[in-house]
Amino acid sequence: MEDRLKNFVSEHRDEFDVFEPRPELWQSICQQTQAPRKEAKVINIKFGERASFMADMLFMRIAAAVVLLLGCGLTLVMMKQNTPDTGNVLAASQQKVISNIAPEIVEVEAYYVSQIEEKKSELTEYDKKVLGLGEQQEIDRELARLDSSYLQLKKQLYTTPNTEEIVEAMVQNLQIRIEVLNRQLEVLQRIKKMERTINSELKENETTNI
Amino acid sequence: METISYQDVNSHVIDKCREGDNRAQYELYKLYSKAMFNVSMRITNDYAEAEDVLQEAFISAFKNLHTFKGEASFGSWLKRIVVNAAINAIRKRRSELVPMDERTIVDIADEQYEDDAEWKVEKVRKAIMKLPDGYRVVLSLYLLEGFDHAEVGEILGITESTSKSQYSRAKKKLLEIMKEPQFAV
Repeated sequence: MEDRLKNFVSEHRDEFDVFEPRPELWQSICQQTQAPRKEAKVINIKFGERASFMADMLFMRIAAAVVLLLGCGLTLVMMKQNTPDTGNVLAASQQKVISNIAPEIVEVEAYYVSQIEEKKSELTEYDKKVLGLGEQQEIDRELARLDSSYLQLKKQLYTTPNTEEIVEAMVQNLQIRIEVLNRQLEVLQRIKKMERTINSELKENETTNI
Repeated sequence: METISYQDVNSHVIDKCREGDNRAQYELYKLYSKAMFNVSMRITNDYAEAEDVLQEAFISAFKNLHTFKGEASFGSWLKRIVVNAAINAIRKRRSELVPMDERTIVDIADEQYEDDAEWKVEKVRKAIMKLPDGYRVVLSLYLLEGFDHAEVGEILGITESTSKSQYSRAKKKLLEIMKEPQFAV
């Protein structure tokens, strides 16, 4: 028995694939394939901290002091060096070689880094605790993740012949960071606005009550 | 010639993926996501669910890449993962995929089929999406994903002859759907 339907379908097999997943889907796959290793570490540290917090309040105080001191020290060092970004260990030493391999990335990087700095300083103007936003950590983690994959890409620049693709990925990486920061800014602005309208409504109510 | 170099590139990329290389994983994703998404779409018949399946399948594929020994092509290995994930997804949704009555179907006369000159890909594709789950899955696996009845039986946990009879019923139903007046494209 000849199966004409089967013949028809195999003749036109390619035309049957008409759907495509959303391009964002890759991001969530990527997050889940990369996340487990890193997150496992973070969770471990957190548990450790929590356990010791409960056992010994003194230890927590000391830890906080150490963290504060370290933070101050780091900011001082950074201010002295006057480097625009924490991730700029990558920029300084290898800059010369990079300019041979992919001259365009040097300028592009400088531009984006300054943009990112600008956004970051804009962000710090908002007091997140007052606005009730706890997700800052998550964003920092995301930025750190982007930063580490950027470093990896940069390493690949030396070993891979196909620099164009890598440079493209690097630029994309930088753009994503700006996008992340922009989103955060937007959210904060919206919250501010909401607070303002609520306040003005409250005032109106008061006046009508009188 | 071309297929050889293609496979070489693939195995190189796969090796990199095993090391957890993000870019290599993306490379594989780019190469296979569309085809695999369509496989998933045909089985689940639901865009959001098909995406969930695709995501789950790729994550599990990257995680279990060490079990891929290269005796089959990477594409068919991956397809098997996608098919299984998709079938699990609709099993969760509905209890029974293939009704278990094993009575062999009376042979449908081939002559009553309409002239295949009238068939158009779009029409056939849409009619497949209108089939009930059980029929659609058997028919898709056999017609479009290139599994034979023994393999379809193995995937669905039914016998080869059940797969055959389910397929003929599905085909009959499909041709009926295409004859419906609203289906005249």
